[in-house]
Amino acid sequence: MYLELSHLKKQFDGKDVVCDLSLTMEKGKLLCILGSSGCGKTTTLNMIGGFLTPDSGKILLDGQDLTRLPPEQRPVSTVFQSYGLFPHMTLLENVIYGLKFRGFSKADARKKGREYLDMVGLADRAGAFIHEISGGQQQRVALARALIVEPKLCLLDEPFCNLDAALRVKMREELKKLQRDLDMTMVFVTHDQEEAMILSDSMAIMEQGHLLQNDTPERIYRNPANDFVKRFLNLDDLIWTQDGKLMKIISHQM
Amino acid sequence: MKSNLNRIEKGASGDALFRIFGNAADKLIIAVLLGSICLFVLYPIICIFWQSFVGETGLTLGAYTDVLKGYRTSLWNSLFTGVLTAFFCTVLSVAAALVISSSRGWVKLLLMGVILITMVSPPFVSSLAYIQLYGRRGWITYRLLNISWDPYNCWGVIWMQSISFVPLNALFLSGILTKIDAASIQAARDLGAGPKHILLDVVLPLMRPGILVTLLLTFVRSIADFGTPTIIGGRFNTLASDIYMQLVGYSNPAKAAAMNVILLVPTLLAFWAYRVMLQKSDKLTSGKGKQDTVNLKLLRCGIVGWIALILSMLFFVMMVLQYVCIFSLGFMKVTKGSYSFSLQYLQQLLKYDTATIWRSVIYALIVSFVGTFFSMLFAYYTERRNVPGRRFFDFLVMMPYMIPGTCFGIGYILAFNKEPMKLTGTALIVMACMLFKQLPTTTKLCSAALTQVPRTLEWSARDLGGGRMAVLRDVILPSMRPAFLSCFAHNFSSSMTTAGAIIFLINPGKKLLVFQLFDKVYLGEYPMASLLATLIIVIVLAVEGLVWLISWKEGKRRVS
Ligand SMILES: Nc1ncnc2c1ncn2[C@@H]1O[C@H](COP(=O)(O)OP(=O)(O)OP(=O)(O)O)[C@@H](O)[C@H]1O
Ligand SMILES: [Mg+2]
Repeated sequence: MYLELSHLKKQFDGKDVVCDLSLTMEKGKLLCILGSSGCGKTTTLNMIGGFLTPDSGKILLDGQDLTRLPPEQRPVSTVFQSYGLFPHMTLLENVIYGLKFRGFSKADARKKGREYLDMVGLADRAGAFIHEISGGQQQRVALARALIVEPKLCLLDEPFCNLDAALRVKMREELKKLQRDLDMTMVFVTHDQEEAMILSDSMAIMEQGHLLQNDTPERIYRNPANDFVKRFLNLDDLIWTQDGKLMKIISHQM
Repeated sequence: MKSNLNRIEKGASGDALFRIFGNAADKLIIAVLLGSICLFVLYPIICIFWQSFVGETGLTLGAYTDVLKGYRTSLWNSLFTGVLTAFFCTVLSVAAALVISSSRGWVKLLLMGVILITMVSPPFVSSLAYIQLYGRRGWITYRLLNISWDPYNCWGVIWMQSISFVPLNALFLSGILTKIDAASIQAARDLGAGPKHILLDVVLPLMRPGILVTLLLTFVRSIADFGTPTIIGGRFNTLASDIYMQLVGYSNPAKAAAMNVILLVPTLLAFWAYRVMLQKSDKLTSGKGKQDTVNLKLLRCGIVGWIALILSMLFFVMMVLQYVCIFSLGFMKVTKGSYSFSLQYLQQLLKYDTATIWRSVIYALIVSFVGTFFSMLFAYYTERRNVPGRRFFDFLVMMPYMIPGTCFGIGYILAFNKEPMKLTGTALIVMACMLFKQLPTTTKLCSAALTQVPRTLEWSARDLGGGRMAVLRDVILPSMRPAFLSCFAHNFSSSMTTAGAIIFLINPGKKLLVFQLFDKVYLGEYPMASLLATLIIVIVLAVEGLVWLISWKEGKRRVS
C-alpha cells in the first residue's frame, strides 16, 4: 500500500480526538475523509502533514516511516483551509517558494512557477499580491504552490469551503482533472457528502475520532456499514443507476 | 422571584425618567463631550500657534528666525539623537519581541514581569540608574571596573532613550507577531522551510510595517523627551531640553511656543507616515480565529536568531540591573564609602511628603475614573452615532498623542492664564491636561472593544422598547467592561508617571510625586529619588492589582 496509517491515536487535554485510526490507500488515487464537524478530520490531516505528532501509531508513505519527521522533511504538501498564502509576496513568489529548498536556480524556479500558474489559469496575474485576487483565485494559487514541489502526497483541508456553490462545482472538476493529469495522490477533507461522492476514488467516514468505513463510493452506497453512515450520507435520497449515474432526490413539499 | 420583580420595577422607573429626559440627556452628553474637546484640545493648540506669531509689536516671524538662528545646534542634536535612538531602540525591540513571543512558561512570565514594571515606571528611572551604575562614582564603572569617565554626553542620552522606549515597542511588536496567520507559517514549513527561513522569509517581512511604525514612534518620542538630556546630557542640549530651560529659566512663552511649533513639524510628518504604515500592517496581519503564537526556536534560526537572543538578553539584564539598583538604593546609606541597610530615607519621606503622596494618588484616581468614562462615551458616540463633524473630532482627540507633552502643556498655560478662564495653578487644569493627554489611547481601546459588540445587540435593545439611553446603559457600557479595566490601568499609570505635559502647570506648593522625583534627580539626591521611584511603582502596581481583582471577582459573581 502507498499510504498506510496504522492505529493512530491523538488526545487533547485527556479527550480522545482520534482513536485507533487505521487506513490505507493506493498511489494516484483520491481519498475523501468525510465526517461531521469536530470529528477529528483536521487532526488526522495534521498528523499526516507533520503539524501534530500522534500519541501512538504509525504513518508510512511509499515504504518510508514519516511518524517522527518534521513537516519540512516530509514529501507531503498541504493546501490549508485558510490557504496560508504569504501576504507579502506576489502570486509567482508564493508559488515558487517551496522550490527554494529543492535546489532550483531562480530562473528555473520562475519558469516552472509560470507553468503551474498557467495550469491553474492564473498566468496573467503572476505579479499580483494575494489581497488583489478573489477567494477562488487564492484557492488555485494555494493548490499550485502545493503541487509544484511534486509531493508524494497532497493534503487538502476543506479547500472549497470558502467558495460559492457554482465555483465549488467548477473547482471540483478542475481539481479532479489536475489530479488525474499529474497522477497525484491526494487526501481531501470535506463535510459535503455530494462533493465526496463525486470526487473520490475511496471515502473514509469518521465519527468522533473513529473510522466507520473506508471503501469506494459505490460500495459504500450499496453496503453502508451502519445506520449512521446511511443517515449521514442521506443514502435514502440517492439512486445509483445500473449505468453508473448517481441521482439525487430532492423532495419538494407543496 | 422577589428580587426579579424588584429589578423590573427599578428598571421601569429608570426608563420613565429617561423617557422624559432621554433625548435631552443624549443631546446634553454630546454637547459636553464635544465642547470640552474643543476647549481642552483645540483651543490650547490654537493658542500655541497664535502666540508663536505674536511679538511685542504685532504679527511677526521674529520668534522663528530667533530660534532657527540661536538653536541650530540643538535642532541638529534633536534630529541626530532621534534618528540614532530610533534605530538602536527598534533593533532591540524587535529582538525582545521575538524572544518574548518564542519563550514559554516561567521565562515568559519573567520577561513580561520586567516589561510590566518598566511600563509603570516614572520616566526618569533609567537616567537615575544610569548615573548610579555607570556614572563618575558608578557601581559598575567606578567600584567594579575602576574606570573614571564622563558619563554626561550625547551617547548616554541616546543609549538611555533607546533602552527606556523598548518595552512599549516590544509589546506592540509582539502583538503583531500574535496576529500573523499561523497557516502561513505552517505552509512555509510544509514547503520545506526550516526555522531560519521562516524567520527571514515570513516573520520578519510580515513585521516590516510594524518595524517602521516603531522607528517613527521612537523618533517622535525621542525628540519630545526633555528629561533624559536635561539629566544626563551635560552640555548636550536638544530642542526639548532647551524648551524646558527656556520656560523654567527665562520664561519667554513666545520663543518657547515657536520652538514647539518647529518641533511639531517632524512629529506631524512622522505621524502621517505612521498612519499609512499601520494600514499596511493591518493588511498583512489579519489573523483570524484561534491563533497559536508564533512558535520559533530562535536557537535554531541561524545567525539572526543568535543576534536577537544576545541583544535581548543584554536588554533584559540591563533592565534587571537597573531595577535592582533603584529598589535597593532607597534603603541604603553610605558611611565612609560602604553601604548599609537603612530606613532613614523612608522615614524622611513619610515625614515630609505624605501630602504629596495622597495628592498624586487622588489626582490619578479622579483622572482615571473621569477619563475612562469620558473615553467610553466618546468612543460610542463617534463609532456608533452620527455626530456632526465626526472625523474632525476623531482627529482632534488624536492630537495630544502626536504633539510632544511639553508642547501640550505650554498650550494650556497660554490658553488658561487670563480671565475669564484663569485656571493656572489649580488642580483642575492639571487633571484636565492629564485626562486629555491620555484620551487618544483610551478612546482607541474603547473603540476596539466596541467593534466586538454587534450592532444587532443595540438594535434589539431598541426593538424591545429601550430608548437611546437604555442602549447606552444596558448594552454599551456593560459590554465595555474589559475595556474599562485596560483604560483605567492606562490612565492611572500615566497619571502617576507623566511629567512632560504638566510640568509647567503644577503649582509649586502642590507638587506631585513625579516632580518630587525629578527635582531629587536633578539635585543629585539619588537615594531619595530611588525611593520615590520605588514608591510610585509600588502604588501603581497595587492600585491596578486591586482594580483587576475587583473586576475579576465581579466577573465571577456574574457568571455564577
Ligand atoms: N489544539 C487543540 N487543543 C484542544 N482541542 C483540540 C485542538 N484541536 C482540535 N481540538 C478538538 O479536537 C476535536 C477535533 O478537531 P478537528 O479540528 O480535527 O475537527 P474537524 O473534524 O476538522 O472539524 P471541522 O469539520 O469543524 O473542521 C474537536 O472537538 C476540537 O475541539
Ligand atoms: Mg477541520
